[in-house]
Amino acid sequence: MMVRRSRQTTLLLCLGLFTLVNLVPVLWGLLISLKQPADAFAIPPKLIFTPTLAFHREVWMERGFAGYLLNSLVVAGATVLISVPIGTLAAYGLARMHPSVSRPLLFALLAVRMLPQILLAIPFFVLARWLGLIDTYPALVLALVAVNQPFTIWLMRSFLADVPVELDEAAMIDGCTRWQAFRLVVLPTVRPGLAVTALFSMLLAYNEFLFALILTGSHTKTLPVAIAEYGGEDINYWSLSAAGAIGIMLPPVVFIIFVQRHLIRGLGFGAVKG
Amino acid sequence: MWRFLLPSVAVMVLVLVWPLASAIYYSFFSYYLGGGTFRFVGLANYAGLLAEQRFWSDLLTTVIIVGCSVALQLAIGLALALALYALNAWVRTISLLNFLPHVVTPVVAAIFLKWMFMGRWGLLDSILISFDVFPPDWLGDPLWAKASLILADTWRFMPFLMLVLYAGLQSFDTALIEAAAIDGANAWQRLRYVILPMMKPLIVFVVAIRVMDAFRFFDLVYVLTNGGPGTATETITLYTYQLAFRMLEVGRASALGVLTLLLIAGLIVGMVLFLQRSGREVV
Repeated sequence: MMVRRSRQTTLLLCLGLFTLVNLVPVLWGLLISLKQPADAFAIPPKLIFTPTLAFHREVWMERGFAGYLLNSLVVAGATVLISVPIGTLAAYGLARMHPSVSRPLLFALLAVRMLPQILLAIPFFVLARWLGLIDTYPALVLALVAVNQPFTIWLMRSFLADVPVELDEAAMIDGCTRWQAFRLVVLPTVRPGLAVTALFSMLLAYNEFLFALILTGSHTKTLPVAIAEYGGEDINYWSLSAAGAIGIMLPPVVFIIFVQRHLIRGLGFGAVKG
Repeated sequence: MWRFLLPSVAVMVLVLVWPLASAIYYSFFSYYLGGGTFRFVGLANYAGLLAEQRFWSDLLTTVIIVGCSVALQLAIGLALALALYALNAWVRTISLLNFLPHVVTPVVAAIFLKWMFMGRWGLLDSILISFDVFPPDWLGDPLWAKASLILADTWRFMPFLMLVLYAGLQSFDTALIEAAAIDGANAWQRLRYVILPMMKPLIVFVVAIRVMDAFRFFDLVYVLTNGGPGTATETITLYTYQLAFRMLEVGRASALGVLTLLLIAGLIVGMVLFLQRSGREVV
């Protein structure tokens, strides 16, 4: 018993140490954002200093990051509002089809997910320019909806497949049409799955960089594009870009706390269940 | 049932199939966005790329970075998954904390890593200099820059493998592992002959997903090195980006994109064949 307990303690210590080292880049970023530049450049690195929130205030209030946040929220919100409803409909169709029909379709969707995004980025840019949609929300939202569809459908299908078919059948015997059975009986039972899928799509849209880089401009720039321009290269902007980076990181952190029970299902495309 | 698919299919045709078809179409043209040239050239874009040294060296760079980082991610991810599996308490906290690098906005993750690797002011250098060690040029030396990118990619994607493999471990029947222990198998033997064979299909699945995703490697390399020094860390995706959005050579960039697509398709077919063969072995 004692041996087992001490082995557990060693294991926990090792894992704890690994976790700490693994998080050093994030913690270091947090420290830079709270330091005066003089402290940030000290060699050896300073761990004790007087923290300041001035850079956090400056980057969000005076450097336009509040505006970029709004752009990010509009884009991510609109993407979810389009992607999840149509994806859920398709997922329901696929979940209730005969596997011999739905399997090839699901694999086709997986293949779509594997398309090199840069190959899509080129025509997106050319077509958006031709339609005059560069630096507008619809261009980026449509692009994100399209690339998010396979993921949304796969994940929603895994939740809908857990709902017994007998439920639909019972509803239809009671006089519901197929649509009413879906809308009134099946959909309410997968509400948690719907929330998880929406959060995952939202995260994908919020984090997306390549399409945002080429399709947005000064009016619609999202947070990743804005922070990439600061780049972290110029040491005069270190504290500011660290403050921006830490702020941008907060929504994803909140995200994992909310979906922790469903992380594995979301990551494994709904194919691996946690 | 088909009607439920209609809205989604309509959107995907409009925003995926149409652009994809356009890109394939552009790849047969000499199409310069800056000057408005649009002239059919047949396969000249493809032939030009395949004759280029830059294409082959970028392909090699991509393969090296993808190969090394996926191998490293798998090794660390598997070790962590096994450690979490053996642990009795604090499992959720530790896995969530280690998961953080994977959900952080990729550009932000790249900036955090830049402050690790940067010359002189970066954390690695300032620690090494404090100990009077002369540090290598992490991002400026062709070899070290590749190594830094491999580490960076590993940092971001190791959590994904950790969590999925851990979930796999949990779903297995523990009776087999216990039976092996009763039969006198030591920890290493249990891992080698019981646990790993059970995990093989899952490992192949996650590695397949990672390899295919890694070919799209863009955000990290764009922020960390932007392909430099020279083109030492330029991946195929980054080269496509440069061709399309810096040089505005849409035709050639599309051809390069199509080549990447063919490469990934080849990989998928190879992996499906491998899966079918190893599936027979396992089941």
